[in-house]
Amino acid sequence: MILFLIRRLLLVIPVLLGLLLLTFVMIRMVPTDPAAALAGENATAAQIAAIRTDLGLDRPVVLQFLSYLGQVLQGDFGVSLYSNRAIGADILQRLPATLELTFVALIFAAVGGIAIGTAAAVWHNSWFDHLIRLVTVAGLAMASFWLAIMLQFVFSMDLGWLPLRGRLPTGMTPPMAITGLYTVDSILTLNGTTLWASLRHLALPGATLAFGGLATVARFTRSSLLETLQNDYITYERAVGFPRWRIVLPYALRNSLVSPLNQIGLLFGGFISGAVVVEAIFDWPGLGSYLVGAILTADFNATLAVTLVVGVIYALVNIAVDLVQGLIDPRIGKDL
Amino acid sequence: MTKILSQSLRNRLLAGAASVALATAAVFGVTTGAASATEMVWADTLPSGLDPHVVFDVPMQMYMLNVYDNLYRYQGNPPVLEPWLATGHEVSDDGLTWKFKLREGVKFHDGSDLTAEDVVYSFQRVLGLKRGPASAFLTYLKPENVTAPDPLTVQFKLDTPYAPFLSAMPLVSILNADVVKSHEVNGDWGSAWLSSNEAGSGAYTFDAATYVPQDTVDMARFADHFRGWADNAAPIDTVHARFIKENSTRILALLNGEVQATDSYLPSDQVERVESAEGTHVATDESMRVMVIRMNNAKPPFDNANFRRCLSYAFNYDGFIDVIMQGHAKRNPGPIPATLWGSPADLKGYTYDLDKAKAACDLAKSEGAPIDRKVEIHTQSELDLTLQAAQVLQAEAMGLGLNIEIVPDTWANLTGSMGSKDTTPDMWIHWVSTYFVDPENWIGQMYDSQFHGTWKASSWYTNAKVDELLRKARTSTDQAARQADYEDASRIVVDEAADIWIYNTIQMRGMSDKVKGYNFSPVGSGAEFRTLSLTD
Repeated sequence: MILFLIRRLLLVIPVLLGLLLLTFVMIRMVPTDPAAALAGENATAAQIAAIRTDLGLDRPVVLQFLSYLGQVLQGDFGVSLYSNRAIGADILQRLPATLELTFVALIFAAVGGIAIGTAAAVWHNSWFDHLIRLVTVAGLAMASFWLAIMLQFVFSMDLGWLPLRGRLPTGMTPPMAITGLYTVDSILTLNGTTLWASLRHLALPGATLAFGGLATVARFTRSSLLETLQNDYITYERAVGFPRWRIVLPYALRNSLVSPLNQIGLLFGGFISGAVVVEAIFDWPGLGSYLVGAILTADFNATLAVTLVVGVIYALVNIAVDLVQGLIDPRIGKDL
Repeated sequence: MTKILSQSLRNRLLAGAASVALATAAVFGVTTGAASATEMVWADTLPSGLDPHVVFDVPMQMYMLNVYDNLYRYQGNPPVLEPWLATGHEVSDDGLTWKFKLREGVKFHDGSDLTAEDVVYSFQRVLGLKRGPASAFLTYLKPENVTAPDPLTVQFKLDTPYAPFLSAMPLVSILNADVVKSHEVNGDWGSAWLSSNEAGSGAYTFDAATYVPQDTVDMARFADHFRGWADNAAPIDTVHARFIKENSTRILALLNGEVQATDSYLPSDQVERVESAEGTHVATDESMRVMVIRMNNAKPPFDNANFRRCLSYAFNYDGFIDVIMQGHAKRNPGPIPATLWGSPADLKGYTYDLDKAKAACDLAKSEGAPIDRKVEIHTQSELDLTLQAAQVLQAEAMGLGLNIEIVPDTWANLTGSMGSKDTTPDMWIHWVSTYFVDPENWIGQMYDSQFHGTWKASSWYTNAKVDELLRKARTSTDQAARQADYEDASRIVVDEAADIWIYNTIQMRGMSDKVKGYNFSPVGSGAEFRTLSLTD
């Protein structure tokens, strides 16, 4: 198990290096030049060239990459070309917001998807199954920005039940920063006000982000569980007289979770990229909105750093999924 | 011991439960997050960093106007340049030596006095950093020529006369020199620190603790501001500036009372909705921000004046302004906003006339211009209006047998490509906003060939007569002569159709009816909180 973990972690390094190189090359292939925008309104060509030299943008791309790599290895993402702030600090400030949203969406998608998928498999071909099929296909097809705006209309504007935007009401002091996840920090500091407020703010963006994933997990659970239910040992258990829920709940379901779990691992990556849209609409101060800003202003360093951070998270989550699979399926666990 | 612990834990849990209950009650009330009488949420775009000598764009104006002061400041619409930290100024006859007298007893936010040394430091810092606002001064002002003869006098010695010097004064925020100097690291002029902190004297102080770049900027009223608060009986104590990125969310937040003002570029199709909703209205003000379709005059067929005239006649100005913008703009036939001096009162410019367009194109063709070449027009992806304008031009040009391709692009990418004639796109679309209120800001920097290579001069227009007029106007101290020069230059560039000038912007800000005392000025777009108050 430990060996597996070390091997997987070592494998992450070349993957990240490749990711960084690819992103770097792609960014530099676009003839974007932030120097002109930085120089200000009426800068002359000479003033722009001076800034370009300052930033080292006139050096060969290979040298630029190597010096950037050296910087990153020392844990320094550089400063944002625009805000002049350390990018590492900006990312640390925003990462918890995205992680909190993603985790909540993942919980919605996993718990909801497995529950619905199980129900659909148990009562397959019933009206409930058909309804779920309809909803899940719609869930896969629906554009998240449309769903987001519709949810805002219904729950924030018409009914007034849930907040429209943000992580907390404007002006409310966030809980003391321990993890940066407002819900967790609220619980740790026993602050009921911020806990309730942050949960309410999480509801709509979390649901929007989760919806497509929930549909995927439900579909996979349903088909996988249906397949498992065809097995001989299920027929045996049934013949012996196990109650139906007893057959499904621990035995069949546990054996059917391998492929939905794989999906959940993939979903996590999808959620982090999907957060770009959801964060924009719900005004969620996370990495997604930071990335969009960085791309629009050609802030190279910030774009690279966010790509790297998302890459690391993605790799770690996939390793975690493999480990969980080992726990669920001892056959896989033995090989780890 | 364990008993005490569990006792205190139980108390805290109980308190927690009680506050959950309280929050539940509060939350299900009608007023979710609505601001109280002295708190306002301002949902406009925020600057990318907070150093006013580094970042210099339209969003920065909001921050600068509230947290910092400057020697002179624009107020009202049309903007009038008023002495602010200065009480007045003197210019020598040759236009080279400028002396500014400072107001006495101005306090910085930390309680120290604002003196001439702070002004000198601020200008030297701008010139040393060479970013943002510096480009307005670098060509004629050396750092060592900014001096303080006495604690209340600042003297500037220019290398060459520069008439718009006074109009450029509001570009420079005056910093607390001692505070910034104490945060200097490796000769960075304290920029790393000032990007997330402030050292100002403005009417509002900035709360660094809650700052999230381009998301959260909280400001509190500075009771000791030098202007005093006598002219505002109920000033706003706390302003929460929040950048809500998505248009639809921003408008919904205004409608449900969560925010009291949106940005000043409300889309035309949302005006009716905000106007008709209860408790909100749209503040409309004609600004000084001209939309231009740039043409690369150095590239065939755009080097042919008749081809450029052909396109100028082919643009459906009224259709664009009346239908797409629903009338929320003013036709502007030349480069200078029609509301500013220097724009000839009788300037007609071009009208939408396909017959004249056809005739001009035929003429261009007979002169050998390769008008059949496929030309590109670059738009700014994040600004829908640029795409719509490009489509209007493309549709009409197609009728004339011209082939225009629309290329979506970004601001950073576009401005980066303007360094040479070859990399500058055939055409692109942008606005020229007000940074300082002088024709120099528009025609001066757009059509004087000495600025070639900057995005403002990206039409690569060259005309010796225009160069001469613009340079004369730049150095003259005679206002009437300057006006005449700018008018002459305007007539020439319009006759030669250097670019396609479309409209002057009417800025539209969605606002809560509770906000009173809103004073629009093209510089800052009305985001000066000093005069605002909230009523019920």
